[in-house]
Amino acid sequence: MALTQSGSGGKNSGDARTRLLDPSVLGSLSNLELVAKMVVEGFVIGLHRSPKFGFSQEFVEYRQYADGDDPRYIDWNVFARSDRTVIKRFLGETNSHLMLLLDTSASMGYGSGGVSKLQYGKFLGASLAYLSSRQHDAIGAMLFDDDVIEYRPPTSKAGSMQGVIHTLDAAQASMGTDINKPTSRFREHIKKRGLVAVISDFYCDAEELLENIRPLAMNGQDVILFHLLDNDELSPDIKQSTLYEDMETGDAIEVEPAFMQKAYREKINKHIAGIKEAANGIRADHVLLNTSEPLDKALHNYLTFREKRG
Amino acid sequence: MTLIGPLFLLGLLGIGLPIWLHRLETQVTERELFATTMFLEPAKKRIHVQKKLKYLLLMALRILFFVLLVLAFARPVLFAPPEAQITEDTTHHVIVVDTSFSMQSEGLFARATDRARNIINNLDDEDVASLYSASTNIATIAPTSDSPESLLLALDTLVPGNGKLDLGAMVTSLNTMIEESQANFVIHVISDFQQTGQAVRFADMIPDVINGRPVSLTIESITSDNTPNWLVDSVLVSNRDTIEVGIRGFAQDPSQRTITLAINENVQQEQEVSLSGESITFVTFENVSFEEGDNRINVSLSPNDALAGDDIRHTVFDNSPPAPVLLLTDNPESLGVTYITAALETAPRGYEVVLQTIEDFDVRVLQRYPWIVIEDIGAINASLASGISEYVSAGGAVLAASGESSLGLATVPVLGLDVGNISLNIEGSNPVTMIDNSHPALADASGWGTVNVRALPIDITNEDRVLVAQAASQPVLIERAIGRGRFMLLTTTLDNTLSDLPVRPVFVSFMAEAARYLSNENLLVKEQVAESFLQLSLAGGASGQVYDPDGESLLSLSATTQAQDIALNKTGYYQVFTLGGEVLVAVNPDRRESDLTIMDAQVLQNWQNVVAGTTSSVEQALNSQTEIATEDAEEREIWRIFLVLLAIIVLVESILGNQHLRVKTGIL
Repeated sequence: MALTQSGSGGKNSGDARTRLLDPSVLGSLSNLELVAKMVVEGFVIGLHRSPKFGFSQEFVEYRQYADGDDPRYIDWNVFARSDRTVIKRFLGETNSHLMLLLDTSASMGYGSGGVSKLQYGKFLGASLAYLSSRQHDAIGAMLFDDDVIEYRPPTSKAGSMQGVIHTLDAAQASMGTDINKPTSRFREHIKKRGLVAVISDFYCDAEELLENIRPLAMNGQDVILFHLLDNDELSPDIKQSTLYEDMETGDAIEVEPAFMQKAYREKINKHIAGIKEAANGIRADHVLLNTSEPLDKALHNYLTFREKRG
Repeated sequence: MTLIGPLFLLGLLGIGLPIWLHRLETQVTERELFATTMFLEPAKKRIHVQKKLKYLLLMALRILFFVLLVLAFARPVLFAPPEAQITEDTTHHVIVVDTSFSMQSEGLFARATDRARNIINNLDDEDVASLYSASTNIATIAPTSDSPESLLLALDTLVPGNGKLDLGAMVTSLNTMIEESQANFVIHVISDFQQTGQAVRFADMIPDVINGRPVSLTIESITSDNTPNWLVDSVLVSNRDTIEVGIRGFAQDPSQRTITLAINENVQQEQEVSLSGESITFVTFENVSFEEGDNRINVSLSPNDALAGDDIRHTVFDNSPPAPVLLLTDNPESLGVTYITAALETAPRGYEVVLQTIEDFDVRVLQRYPWIVIEDIGAINASLASGISEYVSAGGAVLAASGESSLGLATVPVLGLDVGNISLNIEGSNPVTMIDNSHPALADASGWGTVNVRALPIDITNEDRVLVAQAASQPVLIERAIGRGRFMLLTTTLDNTLSDLPVRPVFVSFMAEAARYLSNENLLVKEQVAESFLQLSLAGGASGQVYDPDGESLLSLSATTQAQDIALNKTGYYQVFTLGGEVLVAVNPDRRESDLTIMDAQVLQNWQNVVAGTTSSVEQALNSQTEIATEDAEEREIWRIFLVLLAIIVLVESILGNQHLRVKTGIL
């Protein structure tokens, strides 16, 4: 089903929503949870009420309470009347889990505007966590660079969202990128089917990425790759020769404007295409995000992705 | 300022070169962070011309280099204004401060500097002044200046010395030292005006007319009464164990003092003595023991009087044992032997005469003696002559006389000089007419004029130096250098038969000086007055090192190899080290400075009056104006300064440029 974005709010309401999701605006907020809430609420306000996505909070059925269920959803009225502990189920509730893999390599620290890729990734991760929390999904997070920095297994217990957001908030950009270690670690611990969102700039070999993601897909995980790139990485525009220093290796190379204008763009586009092709090869979604653009594209893609996997 | 070569300023266009060079860039040096360089390809190296200038400090240095180089070629000239504008209305105060030894008297010098300070502080705006110190020598302390501050600063550096002021010598020196100008001169002499400082001739104290300008004299006497003073006037050693000390008094009343005798800084004896006020009191110290060699004898008075510097006297006594001298003779009983022996044994140094007859003499013994005396050169045989020749060639010295045996000689042994026939006519006088008193052995030549000799006629050669001669070039005393040694020949006898030299007073001093010369001893006078000069060449070598009484070396390493005259400015003992050995020289203030009796007031008034009469003629003054006008502005070329700065800039530029080069290398 096609996703319809709000158009009834008029131009002004649409601008306001976009403004709320603008990374440069979010960057001025210090509380990541607040950012996530603003992003998601702003995004949701703009959507038509849709029973598909469970945001309407419309009741569907009762289900017998089982260990591990959040006691907040026990219907105490039913308990009072029938002495049974049941929990309410709402439309759109998936009872699945979402695992966020956030790349914290040094290259993620790059940002030509006000927001770095890592910050954008944090906003995105927090927003996804918030969104999933509303759908009662278990949420987990893993920070990695060339090793696993921090791992938080998925859980739907109270406070899990805050825990994930806290983990994301503490992320610092450093070292290089190695996608192998987080995916291996993830495979070791997660047996249950769920969603895996990898947030990275994917400065790695496409074939290597494919080899690392493939086992996840084979294991029943639905993988979505959020490919974050800065506007200057996508469309660099320099007026004179510039000596660029690699944020991960420290190597410096002097480049000419003509090269960045043409050859570089061809190379980066080819690389993006390679990543996308690798994702398609394992039926994973690839979402290219320009960090200068609002987050709604990412959220929209995420929901579409969820919808597709049913 | 002006430029001698202004066309060179075109070179300033060269400044454009560093500016252009600093816009060129072969490599971007400022790094910019980028997420990854995995998609980047390095640019081909090429030279960029940037709008922005790089390395501004380096560029500034290079531009400065060009500017200085151009200016150095353009040769800028500064016109320095004369230090003080002097016109006919200017009064030039010549301030002369007495810094002689007597000014060390309690409170005297402070009063003198106060007086000088007062004169400087009261200078009019258009006045100038110059400051001089006057002692044995006159020195410029501050050149002509209209700045009281600089004059006062220079005045503060003045201290009293140890020399003697002679007002005649002072005025003569001032005549040559004072700069010529159109000013009216006022000479301020600030002194205690000792009677002993008065010139022998009153006229010597009258300054020349300075450039035809009026001169006046101001007597700035800083004392009005005769301060009583005693000094240790003399220290004489006799018989190597007795010291006689003379204490001179310049006072009305006698005084009770303790006299202390210290030898080599060890106090040996003390005596309580009542000193006469107006004459010399002699005090004898007996049974004094000396060490071998030079001894430092300090005799001091206590308690000190107002002039404490002369209450101690430094004396050097050489207690070396008598040196052996070989006397060869054919007749030990001759008068000549007696005269020679007596003269040598009474010489200040003291010699022990070893008498040997020629016929018993073993030539090998010669090497034991630094020098020998031969009473009669004609008495030696051929083998002895040969031995003596070898001895002299090896560094020995000989003083030979021509006795009776020499009269029949055809040639003089050793020297090989032809001998003529001697006239034995003893009538009439045969005085000495030529004396070479530049020779060390004849330093005291005053008695030679009365000597009558009948000399052996010899034909001298170019190798011979005639030291004493009679009329018609008849040599009396000659010297020849043979190898490393010296041979002195008297062409007359020493037995009072053909010459009266042995009975003349000059004989003893001649023998003493000749002995010192031939034995290579130093000729230094071991007692000197302060602010005199010491000739190192007299100490047995033209060069050496000298330590002053405080133990400070006075000569730099390079100066030790050059002949030097050393100023003896301090009192005490100077140690002189030369090739001739170590010598001690005692330095004391001039005794005349201890007499604090001041000049007669009438004499001072006359002096002032006479000087005030030395005024100029108008013509002279006008002539001087034209000369001075051309000297108003002094040209100073300053291109050398630029060369020095250039060298510094090149150095700094190299260091800075190297640093930038290192940064680039690091990137690549």
